[in-house]
Amino acid sequence: MHDADSGRMARRRVKLDVDSRAEVVYADDEPSAFASMLGGLIEANVRSHPEKERDFESLKARVGIWVTDIDEGVTLDFKGGKLVVHNGLKPRRTLTIRTDADTVMSLSNLKIGLFGLPVYYDEVGRGVAFKLLQGKLRIEGLLPNVLTLNTVTRIFSVQ
Amino acid sequence: MAVKAFSNEWAKAFKDEVNKSSTYKAAGKGWKWTVGLVVEAEPDSHFPEAKGIVMDLFDGEARDIKVGPASDAQKCDFVITAPYTRWKEVATSQLDATKGMLQGKLKLKGDLPTIVRYTKASQEMTLCTTRIPVEWPDEE
Repeated sequence: MHDADSGRMARRRVKLDVDSRAEVVYADDEPSAFASMLGGLIEANVRSHPEKERDFESLKARVGIWVTDIDEGVTLDFKGGKLVVHNGLKPRRTLTIRTDADTVMSLSNLKIGLFGLPVYYDEVGRGVAFKLLQGKLRIEGLLPNVLTLNTVTRIFSVQ
Repeated sequence: MAVKAFSNEWAKAFKDEVNKSSTYKAAGKGWKWTVGLVVEAEPDSHFPEAKGIVMDLFDGEARDIKVGPASDAQKCDFVITAPYTRWKEVATSQLDATKGMLQGKLKLKGDLPTIVRYTKASQEMTLCTTRIPVEWPDEE
């Protein structure tokens, strides 16, 4: 079984702002384009939004994202102030999101509303909710980890 | 009438398509950065020299779209780079630009949160390219 803590990692380290203790590292020698994009997106979000950095500092979870129409995925291993991005799905995931590329983009465009909850009643939110109802967005491990999903969504959202 | 791929006529047709699109006008509201498309050379496909497309986009409008050297496009705030064949795939709806970026087939340089925020606008711009009848050099 793959163990993120004992495997090779940190080939490419991205240190964030001097004031920020958060860091994003890549487990693979050659991160996939998708891994680089998600890692870069989270890095930029955390760097520019103190509230996202607070979420980043507190989050401990392994989140898989599988993009069904390009057959590629990543595992985001949040370790409380540090993120390790793996190419592909790795074991022992807290949550796994399986959906198409467009919905991945919609997820990162979800607005965050009152109490830090994602907004599902505007156009983007309704689109995401509809995909969930249609089974085109599947979230494994959702029920026991709703709070984790909300935290990940906040970190991931560019809105 | 068809225009030569990545020519000045193509740039004008592209600008007209973008400015005709009410979807782009709404989705591009607030955008204020330049976008450069670098089309890498592929001599085997009769596309011998790299070209750059510089797009001056502002608040849902294409103010100017010009074709010139790749170096001009590389100076833009956002730069998307791919070989000629990939761009042809995008412009003929064989490759979805979002998927292309996630797969690394189109290489993006620029602030990621900003470009992700304008996903709908960039998808509409891609659709605009597919509406232009084009003469492709590798099909001549």
